[in-house]
Amino acid sequence: MSAGADQRTELYLQRFFGECGAHYGTATDVSKVEGECGIITAMINKFNANNPDVKVSSNVVAWPGYPQLSAQMAAKDPPDLVTMHTGVISDYAAEGLLEPVEPYLAEAGLSPSALTEASRSAVTIGGKLYGLPFDTHGGLFHINTKLFAQAGLMKGGKPVLPTSPEEMMLQAKQFTERTGKPYLIQSLVGDNAYAARNVYTYLLAQNAVLFPTPKTIRLQTLEAERIVDFFRTITASGVSTRNQDTPAAIGSFMSGEGGIYPTGTWMIGQFEAEANTPGRPLFHAYTVYPYPRLWGAEVSYVSGHAWVVPKRERTPEQRRAIARFFRFIAEHNFDWTRTGHLPAFQAVVESPAFKALPHRINIAPIATTGRPLPGGVQRQNAIEGLVGEEIAAAFNGQKATKQALADAERRVNELLAQTD
Amino acid sequence: MVAADFSPSRARWSPLTLVAILLAAFVMLAPLIWTLLLSLKENAALVGNSGAALSPPYTLENYRSILQGNQVFRWLINSLIVSGGTTLGVLALCSLAGYGFARLEFPFRRTLFIFVLLGLAIPEQAVILPQHQLFADLRLHNSYPGLILPGLAGPFGVFFMTQYMRAIPKELDEAAMLDGASRLRLFWKVILPLTMPAQATLGVFTFLASWNAYWWPLISATRSDMYTLTVGLAAAQMNYAQTSGLGFLMAQAVFASIPIFIVYILFQKHIVRAMSGAAAK
Amino acid sequence: MKAGGTRRDHTGLLFVLPFLTAYIVMLIYPLLRGMALSLQRVDLFGGGRFIGLVNYTRLFADETFLRSILATFALALMIVPLLTVLALALALALNRATKGAAIFRGVFFSSSVLSVTIVTLIWRFVLAPDAGLLGETAQALGAEPIPFLSHPTWSLWALAITTIWWSIGLPMMLFLAGLQQIPGDVYEAAALDRASRWTTLRRVTLPALKRTVVLVIMLQTAAQLQIFGQAQLLTGGGPGGATRTMVLFIFESAFARWELGYATAAAEVLFLLIVLLTLTQYVTTMRGSEGDGGR
Repeated sequence: MSAGADQRTELYLQRFFGECGAHYGTATDVSKVEGECGIITAMINKFNANNPDVKVSSNVVAWPGYPQLSAQMAAKDPPDLVTMHTGVISDYAAEGLLEPVEPYLAEAGLSPSALTEASRSAVTIGGKLYGLPFDTHGGLFHINTKLFAQAGLMKGGKPVLPTSPEEMMLQAKQFTERTGKPYLIQSLVGDNAYAARNVYTYLLAQNAVLFPTPKTIRLQTLEAERIVDFFRTITASGVSTRNQDTPAAIGSFMSGEGGIYPTGTWMIGQFEAEANTPGRPLFHAYTVYPYPRLWGAEVSYVSGHAWVVPKRERTPEQRRAIARFFRFIAEHNFDWTRTGHLPAFQAVVESPAFKALPHRINIAPIATTGRPLPGGVQRQNAIEGLVGEEIAAAFNGQKATKQALADAERRVNELLAQTD
Repeated sequence: MVAADFSPSRARWSPLTLVAILLAAFVMLAPLIWTLLLSLKENAALVGNSGAALSPPYTLENYRSILQGNQVFRWLINSLIVSGGTTLGVLALCSLAGYGFARLEFPFRRTLFIFVLLGLAIPEQAVILPQHQLFADLRLHNSYPGLILPGLAGPFGVFFMTQYMRAIPKELDEAAMLDGASRLRLFWKVILPLTMPAQATLGVFTFLASWNAYWWPLISATRSDMYTLTVGLAAAQMNYAQTSGLGFLMAQAVFASIPIFIVYILFQKHIVRAMSGAAAK
Repeated sequence: MKAGGTRRDHTGLLFVLPFLTAYIVMLIYPLLRGMALSLQRVDLFGGGRFIGLVNYTRLFADETFLRSILATFALALMIVPLLTVLALALALALNRATKGAAIFRGVFFSSSVLSVTIVTLIWRFVLAPDAGLLGETAQALGAEPIPFLSHPTWSLWALAITTIWWSIGLPMMLFLAGLQQIPGDVYEAAALDRASRWTTLRRVTLPALKRTVVLVIMLQTAAQLQIFGQAQLLTGGGPGGATRTMVLFIFESAFARWELGYATAAAEVLFLLIVLLTLTQYVTTMRGSEGDGGR
């Protein structure tokens, strides 16, 4: 390529959320596409179309993409913009690998006070903002209302959700007896995030101290045993799938093969699209609620996505382009919430357009009941992997509850002991 | 010696053997056929029900989507450049070194050869992390040299070519030297043509190994325009693709495999013959 | 024991120099640098200080690492013998000049040209209980599908089956090559003795193939101890770490947990294990039957 052939300022963007260029490669009308992958693809297409002097090239990585990002940073060749879970930001910030984003926010005319409290605190470390929050997200019970009706678990058009573990077990048995299908669709294979999410949510609900210090986790507790034992029992009692990974679980729920699929906010858009397509098994048969209170208080473990800017040399043009991208992302926060995620900006939370989206009334409580892990804890992604791996083995009956909790605790503490 | 082309043993299989072979061939082919069928289905028809692939209707829609412009083209070309470059590099370096070790006398020849042989014991995985650091220092990640160079350091090819060149009668060199030919000319005009079967064997091994390489490109080619097929398809096969885009994903896999299958079918005879290694005319 | 050239000069050095440079820069230097790293507490992004053998003592107290050694050896034990026997059987059956044999040789080698990503993708949709070919077949027959990807033992078999399917071609070809180097008159002699096919196989063919068998076993052992892509892509090391191979452990330690020194130490252990194992195999099978330095 000859120099000067392309005068555009290049920004190298790296993201997860999937690759769907074949379906949405040219889409620029963000309101016409569905799902995380479609919406982010269309958004970036639109940014490129609106900014002819900037060229954003997208690098799509397999979720969550951190090994690859780490390899890039070790090679001193990181991208300009990266999607990152808020729980992971502190690791990279502590290593001095990220730029604080205040200058970009200022250039973009964005005030940190426009962010929701939850999303702002999630990217703030030592008083500095290390990313532009994109959303707040957490676990939800996605429900097949047709099967719930068949099981006699609908009341006044709403699904009857349990308020205690005992009740959940009874409802599960009733459901499976009447429908012949599993009450729970669990992705217990290759999905450490799921098992970790359940344990985090219900530990936070019981007000258990998960991290006595940022360097130690505590999992060998009665509260944790209670949770793991319950999911282990319900998994073993024939009312749940046991051998599914995430794609299989998604496929299973979309084919109407089970009652509840506990997964995150990110699936709402795609399931809602199914629910609006005549002939599909989920047609007019879908709703979604936060994880029900089973122990303690009504609390959800939440995390968030943010856009971070890895440290590297950049031209003033590139810096201005990043600011413009931030502004664009902020302006399109509503479009992103169509995926199911909760807004990062307070104005969107309060907007009629957001409130008019399906099911958002149901999940609105998460805005107040959502709790992240303590921000001072490093390696949250690796910790989720370790905890999830051990806990999933216990859910599945492959490991005794106490053993799994002890192993998870030991492995996490060994890991944290190695961080500086 | 003339190459013995599959002469031994009777030409007919006993019924039992035939059944066993057919069964094994079925196990070999069933996954490939299954993949092909999945790639010919509309994505929506496969959601939560991949069994639908066993019955019509079939469509070429997924392949049309690929042809409409997809990164898989770019990845395919990257893979061809990297595998081709690695193969040429290995053949060049190993032929030269093989000639030197097998047919020339120079100080420390034996010591150096043993030093190289020791490298046979070094697994790729034992050096990949420091290699990553080294290539970071040299700013060679996300480049073709970065993907090709580590493949040139393996000593197997040198060992292989040395063995082969030792078997060529040394009178050939002496005759040529009497004619006043230079070493390089002798190597190029006389010895190299004789080693074609060995070049083919080493070439096939190297090309396949490089084509299938995974870990190094995974950590070195981290930008999607530098992905090789192996890494690119790994990034493409995510949850979304596996549920809502299964047909398309499989079409990508089939599409990506077609060129190498064509190469394989064209060269199949040579591959088998090359591996017999004894076909010195 | 003299090499071809009689003149004693430095020309030869020039021939071997290009390779030697690549070899030293990209293999020997990283090997030494790795050994140094393994004695440091160092993360992926730099820094580092000497800590002696601490990484190694940590490794041998790390249950996850020890389990990864077990999983790796279990896989090698599942794969290598089966692969060798199957490849040998195929080679024996297909070692003839007919058109049919040629076609079948092509069939059995075909999977070798696929990349690991495609192989694991294909096998996920064969083995997965809910979406796979085997699962669909089992359900059609009214049977319970085997939990290939979620049961600790079955998931090891999932990796083993996938690997055998993928890599059967090369050993088969090596055996075919070995078979062709057996002189025809040996068989003629056996035929004159009216030896049965079984006897011929045992007394003539197999002994003549001994070198190839050893070669195949050594190559495959070294290859399978380094198994990575299948484990990362098909099972992600799960369930519960049951299929976390040593190389996957190294990868995770380095790029997910950033413990470069620790990961490098694990790589050195793997290196040592491979050397010890292949050396043992070589010595026990080839004792006394070879000359110096591969001459």
